[in-house]
Amino acid sequence: MSKYTVLSSTTHKDIKVHNTRGIQFGENVNTVPIVADELRAVSLEYPVCALKDPNTGQFGLYALTGFEAGENLFIDENGWNAIYIPMHIRRQPFLMGVRGEDQQTPDNNNTVLSIQLSHPRVTQEGGEALFEENGEASEYLKHMNQLVGKLAQGIHSTIAFIETLLSLGLLEQLKLNVTLAGDQQKSFEGFYSINENKLADLAGEELQQFHEKGYLQACHLMLASFGHIQKLITIKNSLN
Amino acid sequence: MNDSIRNIVIVGGGTAGWLSAGVIAAKLQAKRKANYTITLIESPNIPIIGVGEGTWPTMRNTLRMMGIRETDFIKRCNVAFKQGAKFSKWVSGNEDDFYYHPLVLPQDFDRTNLADSWLSAAPGISFSNAVCFQEALCEQGLAPKQITSAEYAGISNYAYHLDAGEFSKFIQEHCVEKLGVKHILDDVIHINNSNNGDIDSLVTKNTGLLEGDLFIDCTGFKSLLLGENQAVPFKSCSDVLFADKALAVHVPYENENSPIASHTISTAQTAGWVWDIGLSTRRGVGHVYASNYINSDKAHEELLRYIGKTCAQPSSLNVREIDIKAGHREVFWKRNCVAVGLSAGFLEPLEASALLLVEISAQMIAEQMPANRQVMDIVSKRFNETFLYRWSSIIDFLKLHYMLNQRNDSQFWIDHRDPDTIPDSLKELLTLWKHKTPWHEDFVYAKEVFPAASYQYVLYGMGFKTQENHMGNSEQSRLQAQRLFKHNAQQTSKLVQTLPSNRALLQKIYQYGLQAI
Repeated sequence: MSKYTVLSSTTHKDIKVHNTRGIQFGENVNTVPIVADELRAVSLEYPVCALKDPNTGQFGLYALTGFEAGENLFIDENGWNAIYIPMHIRRQPFLMGVRGEDQQTPDNNNTVLSIQLSHPRVTQEGGEALFEENGEASEYLKHMNQLVGKLAQGIHSTIAFIETLLSLGLLEQLKLNVTLAGDQQKSFEGFYSINENKLADLAGEELQQFHEKGYLQACHLMLASFGHIQKLITIKNSLN
Repeated sequence: MNDSIRNIVIVGGGTAGWLSAGVIAAKLQAKRKANYTITLIESPNIPIIGVGEGTWPTMRNTLRMMGIRETDFIKRCNVAFKQGAKFSKWVSGNEDDFYYHPLVLPQDFDRTNLADSWLSAAPGISFSNAVCFQEALCEQGLAPKQITSAEYAGISNYAYHLDAGEFSKFIQEHCVEKLGVKHILDDVIHINNSNNGDIDSLVTKNTGLLEGDLFIDCTGFKSLLLGENQAVPFKSCSDVLFADKALAVHVPYENENSPIASHTISTAQTAGWVWDIGLSTRRGVGHVYASNYINSDKAHEELLRYIGKTCAQPSSLNVREIDIKAGHREVFWKRNCVAVGLSAGFLEPLEASALLLVEISAQMIAEQMPANRQVMDIVSKRFNETFLYRWSSIIDFLKLHYMLNQRNDSQFWIDHRDPDTIPDSLKELLTLWKHKTPWHEDFVYAKEVFPAASYQYVLYGMGFKTQENHMGNSEQSRLQAQRLFKHNAQQTSKLVQTLPSNRALLQKIYQYGLQAI
C-alpha cells in the first residue's frame, strides 16, 4: 500500500498537483475500481463487472479499460477519451484518511484529507496549487476534498451492494471469450457479473427491498454495460 | 402391514455418526418431501474416539453437498489444507529416503500413461515430480489455492487436516439447525428385536422407547448393534497389517507463524510409523506400531525422539494410548442394521481411509435408501458386496506400502515382505505389474477406492520395477510423453511462484474468508 500523509497547509504549502490525464501518472491500468454511486455514468461508457481483490479475495466493482495488465484502451496521446472518468482516477493523489480503528466507517468527524507525496502527479511547479497565499484551500483543493469525501461514502454503499448481491447469490463468474484482430482468440477469467436468471427470480418482499435501494437498476446497468466490450475490442484492434 | 422405511435411527455421536447423519439428511432433503425422520442418539457418558484427522478430497463435495460454507468449516475445525502424503524411510530407511503420494493425477492421466515413458526415459527425477507438480508444492509448504479461489475450488487438488472433536460438534450443529436431524442425548440400555431378528426399538435410560425402521450403528469399536445385537463376527486382518497399538499426542507449534506442512508426513520407525498432521492450531502426531515387535517403552521412545526434532519439551506432552484391531465385520449391513465407522472396522490411518469410508458408506445408504423392508435385503446384499470389495482393496493398498520395503534393520519390515502375509489379490496385481504399468482397466469395479494413479505413485515411488514392454514405445507416444513432462515442469515452476504458503493462506481466510463463488 502506498504511503499517505495527512495534508497540512503549512508543510505542503508549496506543493502543486498535475491535473491532466496520461500513463505517466500511472493510468495505464486495465481495471479501475468504481463505486455504486457512479455506476450510471460509468456504465454509459465502460464495461462494469465485479472482480476479486488479489490480496483479500473480496469483491469490488470495476470499470474495464483494457484486456491485459498495463493496457488502458481509453488513453492515447490526447488524454483519456471518455466523457466520464471514474472518481478513483480523478481523486489521485488524494485519499480520505480515517482516524481510528481499521475499517471504521468514515463520517464528518473522523476523516482527514491525505496525500500520497510520492505520486508522479505531485510536483513543485506547474499543475494546480493546493493553497492560496493566505493559507486557505484553493478552489482545486476544495473540489478534491469534496471528491474524496464522496468516494469514501461511495465505498461503503458499494460494499453493502456487493454483500446483498452475494447473499442473494446474484453474482456469477463470466468467461470472457473475445476474438481480436487476426482471428486471435483470447479468454479472460475472474470477471463476475449478474446472473440474469436469478435476478428474474427475485420476488415479493425481497424484490421490493432490492428495488427500493436502487439495486435492481444497478444490476441492469451492470448487465447492459457489458456491451461496451465490443468497443474495447474495436479500439484494441485499431491499435495493431 | 405398512413396512415403509420412514424412521432412520443413528446410534453414536462421534465423527461417523454426525457425518452419516449429515450426508443422509442432506441427500434426502434434496430429493424427498416428507414422511421420514432422522434421529441421532448419543450417550452423554461415552467419549468419542475422534478417529481420522486427515481426509480425502471427496470431503470437499461431501461438505458442499451438505450446504456447509468452506470458510466456516476451516475456521471452526482448525483446518489446514492437505495435498497428499510424504512417506519417509519406507524403502531403505535412510535419512534421504522418501516419496510422495500426491492427490493430483499424473498429467493427462485420462489418456496418457506416463508411467510407461517415465520408466524408459528415466529423466532422473522422482516419478511424482516427473508427472505432477504437487510434490514441489508440498516440499515448499505451499497452499493448493489462493485467497481469490472460490470455496471448495482448488488450483491443485486438495483434502483437509481437521480437528476431529471440533468437526463432530460442527457437523452436529449443522445437522440439527439446517438439516432437521433430531438429536437425543441419552444412553441406550437395551435393544428390542422383532421375531425375524430385526432391530425393533431401542430402550433408553430417560427418553423411553426409540423406534426405527433402519438403524445405523456408529457406536465405535463397541459395535453395539451390528456386532453385539446382530452377532456379526469381526474378521481380523492382523496377519496382513501387523500394527495393533497407537500412541497419539498433540504437539504445539513453536509460534503462530510456524509453517504448516501441506501434506501428511508418515515416517517409518522400527516396527511401525509415525503420522504427523498439521492443523492450523497444532500438530497431531502419533505412532502406530506392532506390539509383537517392540514394547510400549520403545514405542514411546521412538515417538518422543521424532517429536524432539521439532519440539523442545516432548516429554511434557500428554500421550494417549489406543488399542487398535485391524479388520472389519464379516458383513456391514445385516437385516435392518448397517454399521458405519469404527463399528464396521478399523485400518491404520496410513491413507486416511477412515473418514472416506464413512462418506461413501453414508452416500450409498442415502442413494440406495430402501423404500420398504422387502427390498432392504437386496440393498444390503449390494452394499455388502461393494464394501467388502472396498475394504479388501484398501487392505491391499496399505499392504503395498509395507511389502515393497527393502529394510533389513528389523524383523517387522522383513516379515512384511513374507509372501504368506500378502493377500492373493495383491499378489496377482503385482505379477501383472511386473510386466505392465497399472492402468485404469486393471480395476474392474466402478466404485474403486484408489485410482490407478495411486498405485503408480506408491509402486514407482518405492522403486518397483516394471519390465519394459518387448514391443517398445512408439515414436508418437515418446513425443507425447516428452511434451507432457515439459508441460509439467513449466506448470510446476509457475505454481511455485504464484501460490501462497499454507500458513499465509489460512491466515487470510481467518481474516477475510473465501468467497462462495
